[in-house]
Amino acid sequence: MARRYREIGKAGWGYTAITGLVGFIYFFPVFWIILTAFKTRTDALAVPPKLFFTPTLENFQSVFFRASITTGTSQATDMGLYFFNSIFIAFTSVGLALIVGTLAAYAFSRYPLKGNDTYLFIILTTRMMPPIVVIIPIFLMFRLSGLAGSYWGIILLYTAFNIPFSVWLVKSFFDELNPEIEDAARMDGASERRVFFGFCIPQILAGLSATFVFGLILTWNEFLFALLLTGVETRTVPVAMARTLGGEVGVDYGLLAAIVTLFLIPIFFVTFLLQNQLLRGVTFGTVKK
Amino acid sequence: MSNLKVDNLRRNYGSVEALDGMSFDVAEGEFFCLLGPSSSGKTTTLRAIAGLEELAGGAVHFSGQDVTEAPVQGRGMSMIFQTFALYPHLSVEANLAHPLRRSGASSADVKKRVDEVSELLRVTHTLKRKPSTLSGGEQQRVAIGRAIVGRPKLLLLDEPLTNLDAKLRHEMRAEFKRLHRELGMTMLYATPDQLEALTMGERVGVIKDGKVVAIGAPRDLYQHPGDTYVAQMVGSPPINFLSATGSGDNQVELPFLGLPVAAPGVASGQSVTLGLRPHDISLAGGGSSRATRFPAKIHLTEPLGDVTVIDVTARETGMKMVLREEIAAKYNVGDDIEIAFDPEDLHVFDPSTGARLGNGATQKN
Repeated sequence: MARRYREIGKAGWGYTAITGLVGFIYFFPVFWIILTAFKTRTDALAVPPKLFFTPTLENFQSVFFRASITTGTSQATDMGLYFFNSIFIAFTSVGLALIVGTLAAYAFSRYPLKGNDTYLFIILTTRMMPPIVVIIPIFLMFRLSGLAGSYWGIILLYTAFNIPFSVWLVKSFFDELNPEIEDAARMDGASERRVFFGFCIPQILAGLSATFVFGLILTWNEFLFALLLTGVETRTVPVAMARTLGGEVGVDYGLLAAIVTLFLIPIFFVTFLLQNQLLRGVTFGTVKK
Repeated sequence: MSNLKVDNLRRNYGSVEALDGMSFDVAEGEFFCLLGPSSSGKTTTLRAIAGLEELAGGAVHFSGQDVTEAPVQGRGMSMIFQTFALYPHLSVEANLAHPLRRSGASSADVKKRVDEVSELLRVTHTLKRKPSTLSGGEQQRVAIGRAIVGRPKLLLLDEPLTNLDAKLRHEMRAEFKRLHRELGMTMLYATPDQLEALTMGERVGVIKDGKVVAIGAPRDLYQHPGDTYVAQMVGSPPINFLSATGSGDNQVELPFLGLPVAAPGVASGQSVTLGLRPHDISLAGGGSSRATRFPAKIHLTEPLGDVTVIDVTARETGMKMVLREEIAAKYNVGDDIEIAFDPEDLHVFDPSTGARLGNGATQKN
């Protein structure tokens, strides 16, 4: 008897349940953090952990306003500034890296140098070691040049870190394009500038979005260099988060969870906005058209 | 007046010589075909004429001007690429309008021209769609439309039919001829398919290893191929090559024939290659000369619908022949048949150089 094939696009309940379970396991830590953000200190530390409790917004309030230990009056924290810093620094540096990376990738793809692959390899070597091994020279460079603690310092550093990745990824998208399309545009009278902006870029928007999101996630969560190279004014959220740990009153898990929850929002938002593009971007060229 | 003059083009890719002295002229309003197998330099030649290739030598003259060093933009040429190269992010309408916008036409003018061209090529219903949603034939017609909308003086076509199925190819061949007649532009058409070259080209240039080895009208190339290469490039199924030896008295002996065949100019003992087109072999009838009829065994048949290509063996010499389907249907693989040819249809070539020596001739008895 011939075996019946399931119609594509219709999974059974069993498969859906298994997928749901695996998905939940992945999402659980995030879910738990978000839950904790709405718990009082007592609920957060309760043993066994409480799944049902009366939610409170206390923790979110104390992210931005906290009672001073000495005077007891409510004071504004600098958390708003840190959130601004994180957003400003991450978006600017990833954006810059994408611009520089895209231009370089186009050049590498369309106007190869003699020894093109060697250059590409050299660019990638900067990502081959853990960043911590270069932390001392970089720290010294920043101290000597006066970039330590400034916005431009950390932005340039993150840009430099993101460029290799951007060049490699975006180059692969350019490589996938049909160069005859560019030739056709040229023959139609398009200038080189227009060929690039009007014909190449629009074809790889999905890829650029994917590159942007990957870079953003890496930069957004970066801690080590932010800890060493940002000052009081330019501190990012991961560093500020770490500073809430410890102290005379112990770890305030509710507060920490609230910061993490807020910290997730921008990335959630960007990824959600670009998700259709992202899916196309990561599968770019894997399916023959 | 010669409209396009391609003079001694040279182009290397590393150690490979893609173009090795490519030269030919195309007259104004002519439909010229470049015929050659893949990687013989057809695409490179078209790209060089368009200005898309860096040349190691040679010159391209177009409309009386040396355009070898001129920028790609504004040469007054357009090209239909093998991949069609439609702009995937633009609608069909924007694709068609692009060459016009670049030349600075007013938007009313652009609209009028786009409408005209889409009408001509029957793609009006697709104007708002993206190229990826179109069928192969529609994409092809949009590509043609984009190439002709700006009324170029020269249209370059790089194997534009390779990506289409057989039926569409047949339709598009007629379409290209119609366009050429209606628009009167000079067309340079590169193809590896001899059928396309012979049916469409007013003249055909046969390419081998980056240079033109023969130029002529399709009929001339078919009837009087200058060498074995041209003989096998032109004509389908390919010409049969048979080895023969001169037997003196301007005659050659074929191993499977009982009597020698007249071949003026062939010396005694000289070995020659004889070319015999599959269409020139027929079933031996009552009128066939005794000298050129011989028994053969069918060992493969390829029915093509209207005709059947039959592979036969005569005394261990294999050759192809073509029979009309209703006649071929009477025979099976393994059957012995009696076939014949007209000696005047024999092409005589030098086996070492491949050069043409002459024709066979009817016996003067």
